Amino acid sequence: MTTVVAGSNLLADLLSGPRPAEWASLREAAELRLAGRELPATRDEDWKYTDLKVLASSTFGPAPKATVDIAGHLLPEMVGTRQVFVNGHHAPHASCASAVPAGVRYFPMSHASEACHTLGSIGNGAAKGLFEDLNTARFEDGAVILVPKNLKVALPLHLLFITKAETPIAVFPRILVMLERGAELELVEEHHGEGPYLSCPVVEVHVAEGAILRHERVQRESPEAYHLGTLKAEVGRGGQYHSRTLSFGARLSRQQPWVRLAEGAEASLDGLALLEGAQVADTHSFLHHAEPGASSHQLHKCIVDGKARAIFNGRILVAQGAQGTDAQQQSRNLLLSEAARVDTKPQLEIYADDVKCSHGAAVGQLDPEELFYLQSRGMNADDARNLLTYGFAADVLTHIPVASLRRALRQLVMARTQATSLGDLG
Amino acid sequence: MSSTLNVVTSQEYKYGFVTDIEADSVAPGLNEDVIRFISAKKGEPDWLLAFRLKAYRHWLTMTEPEWAKVEYPKPDFQKIVYYSAPKPKKPQYASMDEVDPELRRTFEKLGVPIHEQEALAGVAVDVVFDSVSVTTTYREKLAAVGIIFCSFSEAVKSHPDLVKQYLGSVVPSSDNFYAALNSAVFTDGSFVFIPKGVACPMDLSTYFRINNKESGQFERTLIVAEEGASVSYLEGCTAPQFDTNQLHAAVVELVALDRASIKYSTVQNWYAGDKNGVGGIFNFVTKRGLCKGKASHISWTQVETGSAITWKYPSCVLLGDDSIGEFYSVALTNHKQQADTGTKMVHIGRNTKSTIISKGISAGDSSNSYRGLVKVQPKAEGARNFSQCDSMLIGQSCSASTFPYIEVQNRSARVEHEATTSKIGEEQLLYFQQRGIPAEEAISMIINGFCKDVFRELPMEFAVEATKLLSLKLEGSVG
Repeated sequence: MTTVVAGSNLLADLLSGPRPAEWASLREAAELRLAGRELPATRDEDWKYTDLKVLASSTFGPAPKATVDIAGHLLPEMVGTRQVFVNGHHAPHASCASAVPAGVRYFPMSHASEACHTLGSIGNGAAKGLFEDLNTARFEDGAVILVPKNLKVALPLHLLFITKAETPIAVFPRILVMLERGAELELVEEHHGEGPYLSCPVVEVHVAEGAILRHERVQRESPEAYHLGTLKAEVGRGGQYHSRTLSFGARLSRQQPWVRLAEGAEASLDGLALLEGAQVADTHSFLHHAEPGASSHQLHKCIVDGKARAIFNGRILVAQGAQGTDAQQQSRNLLLSEAARVDTKPQLEIYADDVKCSHGAAVGQLDPEELFYLQSRGMNADDARNLLTYGFAADVLTHIPVASLRRALRQLVMARTQATSLGDLG
Repeated sequence: MSSTLNVVTSQEYKYGFVTDIEADSVAPGLNEDVIRFISAKKGEPDWLLAFRLKAYRHWLTMTEPEWAKVEYPKPDFQKIVYYSAPKPKKPQYASMDEVDPELRRTFEKLGVPIHEQEALAGVAVDVVFDSVSVTTTYREKLAAVGIIFCSFSEAVKSHPDLVKQYLGSVVPSSDNFYAALNSAVFTDGSFVFIPKGVACPMDLSTYFRINNKESGQFERTLIVAEEGASVSYLEGCTAPQFDTNQLHAAVVELVALDRASIKYSTVQNWYAGDKNGVGGIFNFVTKRGLCKGKASHISWTQVETGSAITWKYPSCVLLGDDSIGEFYSVALTNHKQQADTGTKMVHIGRNTKSTIISKGISAGDSSNSYRGLVKVQPKAEGARNFSQCDSMLIGQSCSASTFPYIEVQNRSARVEHEATTSKIGEEQLLYFQQRGIPAEEAISMIINGFCKDVFRELPMEFAVEATKLLSLKLEGSVG
């Protein structure tokens, strides 16, 4: 049940522009589902802690084409594997896919054939979210990645979404990743921006039998931006999907990953949110153990400073018959300031008896004993606090396979936790 | 109106008998006149009638909660009998002797012979039969130390000021749909008042039974412990077997002042419906304790084995600095039972502490959910919570869910939540069987081990009953 937010014309405004010509039937279906819907309010259980009223006060116009300097975003391991999108439009001059091995299809969605039936069909068993439908109705462009059978792509692929806004605009990045049987891929997806905007990305992932996708997701939107993202992944028998979502930017962000695991599949859904000021970061994840013998692992960490708020709602569903499931979920939260706030709700729903499931949640501040230990070794109180805070976050960064990205993010976390004075901790 | 004697024997539900007591009932249905009738019948003061009417008018504006993970046909509130009192001339438990000896043996097996309350040595019992309290024992002994332990109606007459002061102070009449309904139509319940500095010399106990086929049970319990007082209160519930669904919407309010301590233990074994989910009690209960004073302490222990639907969240509002809230729960569901139960711990005062231990066991086609809230408000400096919610599944068509809400607005708080799920392994059973312990007994032992942390919080006679109840309930569910 949705309730009306007073004065909200957001959806109507966003849909008022012309509908792009391609993918007409997909878009029509999305518009049909959106008809009559309103922005969710905090009365909706799913939006209990995240108030979208702030959105209703802005009018987001269509995103104009723009150019940006991407020099600062390039990563040495991924020269020649990048597709760049600026304000939702493909930026051919900034993109370079020359190093991508033959056989891999890697191109902007605007070049895709509409005969691709996978788009919009991942997770069809689950309800479509409002912002997912909005994306489907209005996306301009995005990336398509197809990795053929048994091809193990050595170089990571780099997707860069940059938004540059002077007046409020809305962008709808779209990604479709399909790994055929036994394929392997590493994917880095980054969102950056300047100015006020709303970004509603949708990522669809299909990992076929025995294929492996490692997916690093970096959200460094502008401090004035809203980021409402959806991820839907279906993982086939014995397939693996490992994602790590790192949220640093945006005034308000929401990540909504949905993952369905077939027999013997594996998934990890890790996350880190580093928040300050009045930022709000919300993660609503759904791990669906639909078949027997799958395993999932989720570690979600939040560091909350200022009067920021972190929200975590992690749902794990073990379907009837999904025997032998192994699902582990952890929500860890560190509160750094008086006014910071955390609302966390790990959820287990289990319909099979032979399973190993556990979840845990903890909210607190740094352990005084650990602080004391460092101080007893001559570190001053501030440094000790910063080092421990950095350590709390760095845990999630350790296994990022792309060295330069790992390094850049560690630098960022160090700067945010004032741990830079401690020297290079990388 | 008199109901006919209808002895139902059932292997599944061993409390399925009906006591034939001529009841003094009002026709089914709810309106202001019925409320006025209840109030007049009980000779209540005007303020109480006003309290009821206010609650009723508010209730009319409310809708039934739908958020719980339970599905059931919504009760028709116009078909419920809101007042049903046994006629006093009939001797109590007259029909107990007529009851199948097999049934009595079961009672004895459980250690709660209802017809022989004295057997629970040292336990004072206030028996609520349908809606009106029919007997209270040990009154004098308690009165000697200034403790008031009587039926709610009696308290309204003899201690109106105390009732007026505390009624609705923890659970306001507008709190939720069922609490509002209860506030409008409650007929009786228990009242306990422990004066300053008194430690209640014995455990107090109420045994509730729903007897009339069409009557809902809307009892109201109010327990007040003054500064430095302490009390342990036991509540046990059974209901006879009917194939219709009966509604039980109770409200329990606990108030603990400075350094006071209240321990509230429940063994709930209302009729759960048959194997196919026909009949059974709808148990929609609001229980809340207010740790009003400094260093006050409220502890809830519950063993929930009955009812078709359970919707129950015994909670603690930790208002006083250094106050402590505890919740220990075992919830067992079998066949088509559905339980959505848990607790709320609201930390308001400084250095408040709470502990939540919840053990859910689901078998058959049942659904068992833990739903809890731990809320740390901005002023709750140094608040501390530890929660552990474990589930055990027996069989492939039951479900277990955990929905813990954790809301923290103070950085010095430490909140930890853990949950695990397990099953009874073939290997474990084999191990027992190798040593000559039959499967049924082995399961009972494993379950007892699983629930140990909760059982040890129960007063002794309840712990014995609970242990046996669980094995009775699970009979034949593992094979």
